[in-house]
Amino acid sequence: MNKWFKSGSPWIWLSAGGVSISLISVLGLLWLIASRGLSYFWPSELYQFDLTDEQGVKSVVIGEIYDREQIPVSQLEHLNLVLAPEQEVLERLLIKTGNRELVSLDFRWLLSHNITKTQTPKDLAVVERRTNGNFYGYIESVVVDGQEVDSNQLTNLLERVEQFQQKIDVLQKSDIGAINYQLERLRLKARKYQLQDKLTAERQANIDSEVANLNQRYAKLEQELMGYREEISRDHIIMRAMDGQLVTINFEYILKVTYNNQLSTVDKTALFFSQIGSFLIEDPREANTEGGVFPAIFGTVLMVLLMTVIVSPFGVIAAIYLHEYAGKNAFTKLLRIAVINLAGVPSIVYGVFGLGFFVYMVGGSLDQLFYSENLPSPTFGTPGVLWSALTLAILTLPVVIVSTEEGLSRIPSAMRHGSLALGATKAETLWRIILPIASPAIMTGIILAIARAAGEVAPLMLVGVVKMAPNLPLDGNFPFLHLDRKFMHLGFHIYDVGFQSPNVEAARPLVYATALLLVSIIVALNMTAVSIRNKLRERYKMLEH
Amino acid sequence: MISINPKALATGSESMINTPLDLHNLSPEQVALDINKLNLHYGKKQALNNITMSIPKGQVTAFIGPSGCGKSTLLRCINRMNDLVDDCHISGEINLHGNNIYNKHVDVAELRRKVGMVFQRPNPFPKTIYENVVYGLRIMGENNRRRLDDAAEKSLRSAALWNEVKDRLHESALGLSGGQQQRLVIARAIAIQPEVLLLDEPTSALDPISTLTIEELINDLKKQFTVVIVTHNMQQAARVSDQTAFMYMGDLIEYSDTNTLFTTPLKKKTEDYITGRYG
Repeated sequence: MNKWFKSGSPWIWLSAGGVSISLISVLGLLWLIASRGLSYFWPSELYQFDLTDEQGVKSVVIGEIYDREQIPVSQLEHLNLVLAPEQEVLERLLIKTGNRELVSLDFRWLLSHNITKTQTPKDLAVVERRTNGNFYGYIESVVVDGQEVDSNQLTNLLERVEQFQQKIDVLQKSDIGAINYQLERLRLKARKYQLQDKLTAERQANIDSEVANLNQRYAKLEQELMGYREEISRDHIIMRAMDGQLVTINFEYILKVTYNNQLSTVDKTALFFSQIGSFLIEDPREANTEGGVFPAIFGTVLMVLLMTVIVSPFGVIAAIYLHEYAGKNAFTKLLRIAVINLAGVPSIVYGVFGLGFFVYMVGGSLDQLFYSENLPSPTFGTPGVLWSALTLAILTLPVVIVSTEEGLSRIPSAMRHGSLALGATKAETLWRIILPIASPAIMTGIILAIARAAGEVAPLMLVGVVKMAPNLPLDGNFPFLHLDRKFMHLGFHIYDVGFQSPNVEAARPLVYATALLLVSIIVALNMTAVSIRNKLRERYKMLEH
Repeated sequence: MISINPKALATGSESMINTPLDLHNLSPEQVALDINKLNLHYGKKQALNNITMSIPKGQVTAFIGPSGCGKSTLLRCINRMNDLVDDCHISGEINLHGNNIYNKHVDVAELRRKVGMVFQRPNPFPKTIYENVVYGLRIMGENNRRRLDDAAEKSLRSAALWNEVKDRLHESALGLSGGQQQRLVIARAIAIQPEVLLLDEPTSALDPISTLTIEELINDLKKQFTVVIVTHNMQQAARVSDQTAFMYMGDLIEYSDTNTLFTTPLKKKTEDYITGRYG
């Protein structure tokens, strides 16, 4: 025993065990969010359950099985179920029944005890809609322009609507959006002249004529839009719900109609990927509980990139000063300790600081100086993507400083001396020799900063993130990058969908899917940075002294 | 320490061919560097005691002595590398062209261009061979591709490295062997055409073959530059140098032409050292 202890084996086992536990927890986490998140996109079977309750009343329920659980019979005594005496647990099914216009709840619990018959009828359809969620039922008839037509026309009709829908999107987002933007700028221009007492009659007339011109174009586009709207609302389908009620659904609201029970595995796989695709590129609907997360992806990536652009130069410059120029005295030591401790400040504190300093002080002053025509509504004096990036840059600054300094101190003095002995000044040596050699360490700092910043949500809630941003911070209107705008963020999206949405149960798979996406994006950002670092390392590989 | 028979050394030394200079009465044209009453302290510890000597132009001068005798410190004073050491205080003068390099108004970078240095361990930059050689020129603002190419070739030829690397100029310098790297560093130092070249134990990290190549190279270099070499290897000093200075505990004990120093040393300490009685 003593010998075994001395041989060092226990330590090997202990450390290997530690590694295994960490590995298992990471893999377990990934597996959980991946399986839960991805199953959201897999088209599930549609069931029709025939039920008979204790009073002998028969009913039908149509929907997807969402969850199953076993519950002890003792919990169900109040229902006075007739059970075999040895039965101790009962299965309970959570069914997503949709059809929000008929029943206000999307979900329903069924006791398997009450189910007399379970079917998966081939002609059962699920209609994905723009509003009111899914509709489950049978397609009774397809009505085109008042005439009933064969239901196999459905695909063509949906395609036609989709084309109009795309035109409407373009019209609304680019053309009408641009006109609105220009109108707003003209209003601000007039206001600015007014504030400066330079609003001459001539200028007013100019602006008025431009406004009239824009309004005219606006009216024309609006007319076009109304035309499209009319076109797509021409047709409708009539569906029969589980209780036999007939419901009319206009094509305007239909996104997709699928007969899940008719799909082969190949079809399902195709549908699975197309659903993932639309999750990635579409805008959210229904208070974020449905549709895609594109604005949140965009917001997250843009904010992290902005943060990186801000934090890298500042962190590197600060590290260079601390390591190369600052005197080696107690004050520098104190400064270094302070920097390291900054990394331990809770992130919400940074959020408060960002709100107080950047948003109210800096943003408020910017508004007074440059955007006074827009007051009292603030331009930069309100949370926005720039302030978020700056706040997170301060939050991650210590990380970059510390790793850059470490990189600088690892460089052998022979490199510095070699350069200095050739008549280079200290600055030239830094710029041409030291910084390139330290670049992998700088990249390490940036990687850590990205990893930290991309996962941070708390401070962002104070300085720029919103539940629903009407516009992306980047668009086709000059100056293209709108740093004053609020943005959406995947981390906040998870919180919002999972805990603040009107339909928490329905949104739960979306929470996992979004979490998986957030992890993937952070990993992708990190991998990019790591590969850059490895290239740099290869290039500035040190001599093995 | 290996003991050496001074007579055997003397026959091999090239300094036999030249008439020895009178080191204490050099005419101003003959002097490259004039060190005058140089004292150096590291904190409270004195490392150099009142060194006075003249280093002649176009010759190889060697500093020898046991470890810690101050020979490297003295060498580093010549291009002011000791400025980089904290708590290092220097008094006295080193005159280059009659100007004290420790004068307040001296541009240190400019001085180091005139007084190049090669270190004990090869320290090529993690750049290509070509970029290593032209580094000093780029620092001086030379960006003309043609001139850089010419300078690179010329320096590499002078450093006897051209034939080995001419086909891989744009590969990393870190792929070269230790001896090649040291010659590359020498090429890098002479590319900016210094007047004086300081070599700080340039072969101590190298194998015997590379050492021999570098020694031959030093013989060629003295045609263009004044060379000052620090070595702990007495045979090497005897082989490559024209003058030798023996230092002990921060004092300059004896300084004369190499032949004299190794055959008929004036001081007892020198004799003890070169015959291997301590060191």
